[in-house]
Amino acid sequence: MAATIPIDAWNAYMKAFVDESGRVVDTANGGISHSEGQGYGMLLAFLAGDRSNFERIWSFTRTELLIRDDGLAAWRWDPNSKPHVTDVNAASDGDLLIAYALARAGRSWGFQPYIDSAQKIARAIGRKLVVRDGGRLILLPGATGFSSKDRPDGPILNLSYWIFETFPVMKQLAPETDWDGVSQSGIELLRIAQLGPARLPPDWISAPANAPVTVADGFPPVFGYNSLRISLYLLRAGIADAELQESFRRSWLAENGGTPAVVDIPSGRVVTRLTEPGYRMLGAVLACALAATPIPDDLRRFELTLYYPSTLFLLSWALVAEKYPRCL
Amino acid sequence: MSLKRAALLILLGGAVLPAIAQQIELPVGPGSNRANDNNRPKVDETALRYFASQGDTRRLEAEIARLRALYPDWSPPGDLFGPQSDVELERMWKMYAEGKYSDVRSAIAARQAADSSWEPPADLIARLNEAETRQRLINASDAEQWATVLRLATDTPGVLTCTNVDILWRVAEAFAKTNQVPRALDAYTYVLTNCTDANERLATMQKAIPLLTDDQIANLMKLERQDAEGKPEFDVLRDDLIRRRMGVAAENPEYSVPDADIKRLETLAKQNDAPGDPLLLGWYLFRHDEAQRALEWFKLALDRKGGPKSAEGYVLALNFLGRALEAEPIAFEWRDAAPENNKAYLDVVISLLTADPPPVLDEIVLARFSPVVMRDKYVPGAQALGWYAYNTGQIVTSQSWFETALNWDPNDEPSAYGLSLTFWRLGDGARLSAIVQSWGARSERIVALVDPVVRARLEARNAQTAINRYTDPLVAAAARLTPTPTLRPPPVGVPTIGAGRTYVPGAGVAYPTTPSATTAMSYAGQGFQPIPQQFQGVPAQGAAVGTTQFQPIPQAGTAYQPSAQFTPVAAVAADQTYATQAAPTPPRRRNLAQSTARSGNASESAGGAASAAVARGWKLMELNRPMEAISSFDYAIQYGSGRVAEDAAYGKSLAYIRKGMTNQAQAAALEAPQNPRRSLQLTGDLLAQRALEFYRDGRYVEAIIALDERARLGPEQQDLMMLRAWSYYHIHDYQSANRIFKALSQQGNKEAMNGMSAVDSVTRKTRDSY
Repeated sequence: MAATIPIDAWNAYMKAFVDESGRVVDTANGGISHSEGQGYGMLLAFLAGDRSNFERIWSFTRTELLIRDDGLAAWRWDPNSKPHVTDVNAASDGDLLIAYALARAGRSWGFQPYIDSAQKIARAIGRKLVVRDGGRLILLPGATGFSSKDRPDGPILNLSYWIFETFPVMKQLAPETDWDGVSQSGIELLRIAQLGPARLPPDWISAPANAPVTVADGFPPVFGYNSLRISLYLLRAGIADAELQESFRRSWLAENGGTPAVVDIPSGRVVTRLTEPGYRMLGAVLACALAATPIPDDLRRFELTLYYPSTLFLLSWALVAEKYPRCL
Repeated sequence: MSLKRAALLILLGGAVLPAIAQQIELPVGPGSNRANDNNRPKVDETALRYFASQGDTRRLEAEIARLRALYPDWSPPGDLFGPQSDVELERMWKMYAEGKYSDVRSAIAARQAADSSWEPPADLIARLNEAETRQRLINASDAEQWATVLRLATDTPGVLTCTNVDILWRVAEAFAKTNQVPRALDAYTYVLTNCTDANERLATMQKAIPLLTDDQIANLMKLERQDAEGKPEFDVLRDDLIRRRMGVAAENPEYSVPDADIKRLETLAKQNDAPGDPLLLGWYLFRHDEAQRALEWFKLALDRKGGPKSAEGYVLALNFLGRALEAEPIAFEWRDAAPENNKAYLDVVISLLTADPPPVLDEIVLARFSPVVMRDKYVPGAQALGWYAYNTGQIVTSQSWFETALNWDPNDEPSAYGLSLTFWRLGDGARLSAIVQSWGARSERIVALVDPVVRARLEARNAQTAINRYTDPLVAAAARLTPTPTLRPPPVGVPTIGAGRTYVPGAGVAYPTTPSATTAMSYAGQGFQPIPQQFQGVPAQGAAVGTTQFQPIPQAGTAYQPSAQFTPVAAVAADQTYATQAAPTPPRRRNLAQSTARSGNASESAGGAASAAVARGWKLMELNRPMEAISSFDYAIQYGSGRVAEDAAYGKSLAYIRKGMTNQAQAAALEAPQNPRRSLQLTGDLLAQRALEFYRDGRYVEAIIALDERARLGPEQQDLMMLRAWSYYHIHDYQSANRIFKALSQQGNKEAMNGMSAVDSVTRKTRDSY
């Protein structure tokens, strides 16, 4: 597979957010690292065709985070704490990204150990994080604390942890789990979790089996940095469903001139406009996918910002380069 | 791989996954026939060459030794210090040596991407795997992911060496934490058998000790070696092991340690001047019923600034030894040091407040306890204050403490019961029924205060459960006031003061400490004091001795009427049925002459007049003119203060009692605070009077309750025992009645014999009807 991320952009990303040990640093969060960041780093390294740094990031991920008895990764690593793992709970999006990147890299580069590792993680995700709750097959955000057993208002879900492009790969790695069902329930939840006047999915929802979906207690009632990614994930997975994208389109393209925003769910009001290139790129990709709108000139070159928008930028870029070259 | 390492691998594999054990390659050691020529493995010398090129002789030598152990026939190449042919590989070894494992991984991947035919040296990969596994295993161990620790050790057994003893410790811990203590023991045994570093060996024992049993530790101690001077290497641990054993046994009193351990620790405690050993001795001895010895060690620990735990132990030991009064100031001083100290303080005061009978407490004890109780909203504390006030006759005060306790915990039955008793005592029928109403479903003993049927049932049940031992002072205090335990018919000669309890004498009252199997008579000889009695009036004019006019006349099937007024005055004793049995009683009342003398010295005119009024009141009492005495006492209450008012209130109560006006007597007693001892006496008199009134009104159950109440304050004398027996008789508890009659008749009490025949005729009648 040809690299879909320009090597210069990837090298700049490496230099800014990945240290020598292979640790992907979340520069907006006190320099901590997490399983999600490691997974993004591995996926981007793969998309950039950088075997060397893929191995570097995987080495750190395996040694420092892949320590849980159940085979999942610990989600939080803090350079200022000893021991560094400050929360050994898992985060399902991190595990999905790591397994997905390993599987794709292993297959693409013909390296079986990556596929073996991917399979172990995929099976662990299927075993621990995919559960049936009432009639619904759900992806728990973490190994503990979110299920209907753990919380009276459970399960608590994060729809941006459903990384749809990973499910077909998981299905190959761990066929004993119904990954199609997981994908379908994610789509279904996205349809019913369009809450508030803006009809946007909150970052964290409470989704009891026999009750309506609501904003989860104890979490900010916003469409925020988590749910932002959903539009991109759908497009990356090739789920071309205009209805699912409609609320994103309205909020980003119709009402905010292409700029995504954090939106308060109860009032539907914009809390923060997100003007960094990485976030605007999400709007540009959506416009490209829906209306073949060309990517604006100022978004055609990778500009380093913080870890998270930079990551979203490169993932978006890779998508456009691969699937919508007409927008470039 | 050494033989030793292989030994551990086998045990590891066996423990974790038997299948894996079979996969582990067994060692090729010296003498092994596998190391022959036709099967000679290719020796990887890249690391060797790298170290040589760096001039790193320490690592070079280690590597040579390692390769020799692996390949006995191998010898180092002659061209070690020649130029390196593979610069990239050399760089990888350099990064490896620097611990930059991710860099090595990255470099290997980069090279493989560029040259798909290139394979990294197996030795480099193996070492990299081991290095990363060590790190990962440490991370997993820190995160308490024990299964991961064991899986990594099994997958990469190369990490299990004496050079990484920390890894061995972590593996051992993972075994211990996953219920595989024997495997943990194996791992420690492996270290002590194979590893030589003296500090690490000692540390291994220190790691093992908290995880293993004494027997397992003893087994490890057998692997002890001697140092260069011939001294056993684990000597320093022996005393620690004693401390450990004692510590465990101090926490779990079912365990004990050999005397030799105690002696050794005593020696150690005296040798050093730290508080730790005395403190440990204190707790061990205290928990093993040697409070007296424990006390000394706690004291020493406290003197050595042993802190809150020392103070706590010292206080608990004192309290246990019945020296709560001594303990209280220390407990108070340390109360805020730790939650346990606060608890110890509260316990000490509670045990003071609920002592039976109530001791005379210094005002400061109460003054500083109440705020702590209020601050903590401490229900047992408020309850204890309630009982103390109750027991010292301060019924109104008692009532407010019980109410406070109930406010804090509306479901606290003992407080509700206490409150009920105060209503009962004050004759507040309305509030008593209200509380019975709300607690009826939850407290039988509260209902029993108004319902004879419930009372009879409780009584029967209690008779079966026999002796109750109360360890919680509050429960004990409540139980003392519970009518049911004391409703057991008194055993012969033993006053009814509560089943199975010893009676601790009140200050200045010479009761025997333990009512043994003595007779009532021997009690009497020691100061057993009947309640109705004479005053030790100012001039002891014709003061008769132990008298009573209460004389039951049994009339089978009809109400029994006391033949004479029950009065505390001897003069009108018409029929001294029991007087002959009662021993002459030594004066129990405070000497009034002294009392008035103390108060009469007041120079102040009003005070002087009040004192004179008290003296006049007593004089009138002697003349048996109680109603006139009351007005004198009233004057003194109004204008006197302190002792004078107290004496006056006391006198007024007695005057009312003399007139048979119990309720008024009760009210008068409350007009001035009474000192605890006198309150006790007054309360006893009031209750005896009240019992009689109930009896006269045919309220036999209430009469028994009143007698129980009174019996709690002091032994019951024959006249009250007769009253009790007749009360039983009337509620058809013939068995109890007969037991008392029989006991008294054996002492020659003729009325008791009448009682027996009355019971006999009734029960025969019953039997005949079958």
